[in-house]
Amino acid sequence: MFPQFGATAESLSKASTMVFRIGTDAHLYDDPEDVSIAPLLDSRFDSEKREALKRLLALIAQGFDVSNFFPQVVKNVASQSLEVKKLVYLYLLHYAEKRPNEALLSINCFQKDLSDPNPLVRAWALRAMAGIRLHVVAPIVLVAVGKCARDPSVYVRKCAANALPKLHDLHQEENTSALEEIVNMLLNDHSPGVVGAAAAAFNYICPNNLSLLSRNFKRLCETLPDIEEWGQIILIGILLRYVVAKYGLAKESIMTSSYCTQSSGPEKHGGDFHDEALKDSGDIQGINIEGGADLPKLITLLSRCYTEGPDEYLSHSTCTSVSGNELDRASLTSSKDNDDVRIFLQCTSPLLWSHNSAVVLAASGVHWIMAPKEDIKRIVKPLLFVLRSSPDSKYVVLCNIQVFAKAMPSLFAPYAEDFFINSSDSYQIKSLKFEILSTIATDSSISVIFQEFQDYIKDPDRRFVADTVAAIGLCAQRIRTVANNCLEGLLSLVRQESLVCDSTLLDGEAGVLAQAIMSVKAIIKQDPENHEKVIIQLIRSLDSIKVPAARAMIIWIVGEYNSLGQIIPRMLPTVLMYLARCFTSEALETKHQILSTAVKVMLFAQGEELLTFREVLSYVLDLAKYDPDYDVRDRARIFKKLLAGHMASQGPMEGIPSQPQNTDLRTALAEHIFGGKTKSTLSTSNNYRFYLPGSLSQIVLHAAPGYEPLPKPGSVVYDDSCRDMDTALAGGRTTNSDSSGTNDPDTLSGSLNEESTSNYSSGHSVASSAESEYSGSASEVDEPASSLIQFSEVGISYSKPNESAEGNGSTSISDELGGLMSKRALESWLDEQPGFSECPPSKQGVVLPSSARISIRDIGNRVKPKTYALLDPANGNGLRVDYLFSSEISSISPMHICVETSFKNCSTEILTKICFTDENQSSESSNQALETDESLSTSYDVPTVVPMEEITSLVPGQTTRRILQVRFHHHLLPVKLAIWCSDKKYSVKLRPEMGFFMKPLPMDVEAFKSKESQLPGMFEYIRSCTFTDHIEELNCEKDPSSLMKDKFLVVCQSLASRMLSHANLFLVSVDMPVAVNHDDVSGLCLRFSGEILSNSIPCLITITVEGRCSEPLKIFAKMNCEETMFGLNMLNRVIAFLS
Amino acid sequence: MGEADQETLYATICREVMLEKQLTGHKVDRSICAWFWEQSISQGEFVKLPPVIASPTHYLFQIVREGITFLACTQVEMPPLMGIEFLSRVADVLSDYLGGLNEDLIKDNFVIVYELLDEMIDNGFPLTTELNILREMIAPPNFVNKVLSVVTGNTSNVSNTLPGATASCVPWRTADLKHASNEVYVDLVEEIDAIISRDGALVKCDVYGEVQVNSSLSGLPDLTLSFANPSVLNDARFHPCVRFRPWESHQILSFVPPDGQFKLMTYRIKKLKNTPIYVKPQLSSDAGTCRITVLVGIRNDPGKTIDSLMVHFQLPPCVTSADLTSNHGTVNILANKTCSWSIGRIPKDKAPSMSGTLVLEAGLERLHTFPTFKVDFKIMGVALSGLQIDKLDIKNLPNRPYKGFRALTQAGEYEVRS
Repeated sequence: MFPQFGATAESLSKASTMVFRIGTDAHLYDDPEDVSIAPLLDSRFDSEKREALKRLLALIAQGFDVSNFFPQVVKNVASQSLEVKKLVYLYLLHYAEKRPNEALLSINCFQKDLSDPNPLVRAWALRAMAGIRLHVVAPIVLVAVGKCARDPSVYVRKCAANALPKLHDLHQEENTSALEEIVNMLLNDHSPGVVGAAAAAFNYICPNNLSLLSRNFKRLCETLPDIEEWGQIILIGILLRYVVAKYGLAKESIMTSSYCTQSSGPEKHGGDFHDEALKDSGDIQGINIEGGADLPKLITLLSRCYTEGPDEYLSHSTCTSVSGNELDRASLTSSKDNDDVRIFLQCTSPLLWSHNSAVVLAASGVHWIMAPKEDIKRIVKPLLFVLRSSPDSKYVVLCNIQVFAKAMPSLFAPYAEDFFINSSDSYQIKSLKFEILSTIATDSSISVIFQEFQDYIKDPDRRFVADTVAAIGLCAQRIRTVANNCLEGLLSLVRQESLVCDSTLLDGEAGVLAQAIMSVKAIIKQDPENHEKVIIQLIRSLDSIKVPAARAMIIWIVGEYNSLGQIIPRMLPTVLMYLARCFTSEALETKHQILSTAVKVMLFAQGEELLTFREVLSYVLDLAKYDPDYDVRDRARIFKKLLAGHMASQGPMEGIPSQPQNTDLRTALAEHIFGGKTKSTLSTSNNYRFYLPGSLSQIVLHAAPGYEPLPKPGSVVYDDSCRDMDTALAGGRTTNSDSSGTNDPDTLSGSLNEESTSNYSSGHSVASSAESEYSGSASEVDEPASSLIQFSEVGISYSKPNESAEGNGSTSISDELGGLMSKRALESWLDEQPGFSECPPSKQGVVLPSSARISIRDIGNRVKPKTYALLDPANGNGLRVDYLFSSEISSISPMHICVETSFKNCSTEILTKICFTDENQSSESSNQALETDESLSTSYDVPTVVPMEEITSLVPGQTTRRILQVRFHHHLLPVKLAIWCSDKKYSVKLRPEMGFFMKPLPMDVEAFKSKESQLPGMFEYIRSCTFTDHIEELNCEKDPSSLMKDKFLVVCQSLASRMLSHANLFLVSVDMPVAVNHDDVSGLCLRFSGEILSNSIPCLITITVEGRCSEPLKIFAKMNCEETMFGLNMLNRVIAFLS
Repeated sequence: MGEADQETLYATICREVMLEKQLTGHKVDRSICAWFWEQSISQGEFVKLPPVIASPTHYLFQIVREGITFLACTQVEMPPLMGIEFLSRVADVLSDYLGGLNEDLIKDNFVIVYELLDEMIDNGFPLTTELNILREMIAPPNFVNKVLSVVTGNTSNVSNTLPGATASCVPWRTADLKHASNEVYVDLVEEIDAIISRDGALVKCDVYGEVQVNSSLSGLPDLTLSFANPSVLNDARFHPCVRFRPWESHQILSFVPPDGQFKLMTYRIKKLKNTPIYVKPQLSSDAGTCRITVLVGIRNDPGKTIDSLMVHFQLPPCVTSADLTSNHGTVNILANKTCSWSIGRIPKDKAPSMSGTLVLEAGLERLHTFPTFKVDFKIMGVALSGLQIDKLDIKNLPNRPYKGFRALTQAGEYEVRS
């Protein structure tokens, strides 16, 4: 009527909500897209950027995909505002995997942040960088983590520890040893906060490398209380595994009690002692362990499940139980005499007071497994206290208490009232409490518990009442003394319920009644003779009970106990006739029971009643034969056949000539089937699957992925020397030296830097013109080799006195002389350095070694780029295509690499029309994800393969060469090409060789050094490997006179040719050690320079050598490159082809 | 919303996912939430799902706080309590930051929630969960901030510096705190859990208590708190700042407090002999109706007034209608058959009583199931367990601080069966 009024009211209400939500981000969440986000992201103002990011976050929160903003968001990673940074990180991590290319753009920014003075910025950068889960960045992250692990700030170190699992995720195997090294270092950290995070990393990366802990086990135990709660949970678990792995289970603990009591062998004495201890603990608590025979079995089962995992154990429990015992006893320890175990228990016991319930449970688990039996009770109160903390942890704790209570009921017996049920408990909690209550009930507490149960029976929740009734049944079975009381109660309940059910047929009520009868049945089963009256009562109530399940059970009871006592047999005819009469109106399950009861009664009947029973049975069988249910019909038919003998004897008049034997057999079978009295079984412990306390698997009752039982005792080698800190540290290094050498550049960087700088600073001056004359290009191979070695004049810049003194020997030698110098001359020249030859090579780092610079002339013809097969004649219909990377530079674009391909016709026919095409266009999308930033920076589109001049024909045996210019999308990934030949297409993959993504960058040593000094820190990476190529060459050397000299040269040559064959580089200089004895080449240093084709970023490689000529050499390759991704990958490549 | 090891956190309410945070590389699809809701619907409205659920693809941990479900999932073995505890911690921190927990509050402050979560968990492992430190890293939303942000448009709620506490040897406390007035308040807050059986006997009566400290002290003070009668304590749990040794040997709480409000200790005292009040329900049914009377009164005068007294109960399902009146306070019957009788303060002169008739379902002669009555009350100024604080010593403080003590007892799970 008044639309304008309505509008006002609406806007008013809007306005009023605005007032309340003023200044919050509500409007952003409610309507994130009401303004255009893109311009805001590009804004100059932080506040606008922030708003845009918040809008994006709101969209993420609501489940929208906003990854299309990625490039714009990533740009903002460089923002100075911390909040913008944080928001960008949140966004970035959400989408990094989806948009790997753009994510890579942010890496350099993170690298910058990693050296920020603010620890918070460093930590965030590390977290975000590690969170970008891209394989290509993993090497950089590894370096960053290594650095941050040494950061002065505790928070950054903690984040470094947290980053380790992320890294491990990326690189499963490659770097595990490097990661373990860092984990180890962080575990040794003096700050508890870091240790906690390191424990989590340990658990993720190398949970089974328990020997890492042996060195600082004690210290870890002692810091345990100071570590933050989450770390405690993890560390407790790790330490427990360690202790078990090293020493085995404690012989005083409950886990091993059953082995000891069973033992009669060598540990007889100990066995007796523990047997007594068990009895004592039982007696002291005044507990009647009914069914006590089961307990040791259960405990054995429990401890076996803990150590072997239930699945393994249960599958072979039958065959190994005996030998297993022996084995386990051999690896027992003592929680009293063993220091480590004692300290561990001591340090975990205060954690039982933690306010974090997970810590309490973890500590309880330790005591449960390792503590002496008499001390286990200290876990009880803390566990019960946790029940009060929150309903959710209550559930988990109860699940665990249930297991403890099953194995050791005496532990919880005095605390029955803690398991009384509150109306606010959830159904799961209620049923757990019931189970625990019925396990821990004792003679003394049962009366209180029953009173409690009586209260529950009146609860409106009928499902709960049914459970109560079941619990009563269980208690009565366990504690016989109260069985009669229980029965009475249950029977009155049955009477009452049958009345109620009469009037209102509620589902719940039926359940209660059925459950009540079930409990009664279970109690009767234990001692049928004394419960005759109960059975009679039940039979009498048959008329009033209408619930089919309950009726069926009573009818079963009739059949089962048909010959019990005096009265029941006399009632039988009446009962049976009553049942036969109402057969047709019964429910299915009741019909089944009536059938089998009739059969049972008939089989065991004697005398004159037999006839009646037979009549009833055949009447029932006849009815059943026409029953609508096929199951009933089938049963009737089977019974009829089976009982043919009995039925037959009813009337021999009918004259069926049945074979007597056959009849006997049938009778026996029938009697066997129906006559076998069921044995009374305790159905309490139907769950035999136990998992470690506090584990997820224990709650869900199956082994969750990643669940591991306790380790095998003795799987950690006990090594006393490890306890000594100093030797252990050294030992740890040496055992890991291989891995640390190759995989952890950081641990070595210190010493290596020192060494390499000492080499560089020995201040030799400009390389000679002769050196630059050699351009390093492979095209100059035809130039005659003038000399093997040429000395450039060395070090005339006497800026530092000691250097000049060291270099004095070489200054006199000029280029030309060097060129003419014979091998012998070199040798004598080397020998002329008496002062230095005495220096032991190990002191290299301390005493600056001198070196001579040489240039290798003939290296060009030693350079043989490797040839790869592209197409096999077998697959190519006789066409063989090989390729090698040429050092030529593509004339088309810097993106292209020249590949020299050779085509050979191996067939007998002429091949025609051979050419290459790009197969990539079709699969562009798949490759797109792998493109690097190189391709991103190219705005113009370049073809993958520059069309090659077609080879029109190739006669058999002919070989043709072509230069192919290929653009690789990624320096690690192959490019897909198609070769067309005689109109057939062959798909091939051209694998890139990283080394040829560069072109030689001629420079002199000075330029090299200054460039190098501009690329420190994150742009510098070092790796090492061993080099063995030269040994072979040395062995081939025949001429004994040249032996001395050539060793050095051979090493230089083989190294240089190796490098130049695999990478298009410029050999800047070769520094040869002079201060060495004849065999030691330590200090040999080769420098290479190159420039990345695509972006002209220089790339400097320095190779230093350590070791003796005749042995495998240790090579350190150092890479300085601004393009970190390329640099690292290139370095890996260098290492790969050198080693 | 979060997990340790390999998790995804979701906060969901009423089948709508409000927030999602992926913690590790293994992305978890949102459809897991749909599965969860389907599951909880199929179980019926009043049946709660267990806190740990094995779904076909993941293991789920869930807690419900104020109607908001916090859901975390993992695919690998991890301590389930760790997940649950962490979720509870998230809920606690959020409710502290936002001053409560509800859908609107979370939506209004979703950026802060995201920032908080990012600080609280890293790659599925909890990072910073100490509330006091989080407060320094990310400013809680308060009115001043809000107004400022409206006016200037550029305040940031992310701190630019790392809290000093992360580096100190007491990670829960900033190194150089300065307060104009040095004060410390110690509150004993106790909850009585009691069960009174159908025949009026006291089945169990425990006290669950907390020692809450609100400290605003400068520098690095060292506090010692001792009880006059520590022997009554049945069990205790402590804030991480409490040193274990002194407690083990002398039952003395020695600690360097965090700044602000925190829970120093929780304790339990079992088997109290009597309760402060009595609640006597009587139900007698005949011929399809049931006569109900509930009497409430003081049993043992605690010496202080008993306040905010409430009696709740759920009418049995077989009751079709009810007519209840009381001589004091008000009676409300909600649609889901929940009755609440709010009495407020117990009058001095008369004993409050409520009476009325319940009409049973047709065909039902008498009531055979009986409700449980839940009682709420509050008593200011007294700790019913009898635990007494002996003294609080403060070392390392230049001037004498103001020390305040308070006590409060309230009903916890206080149930009377009928």
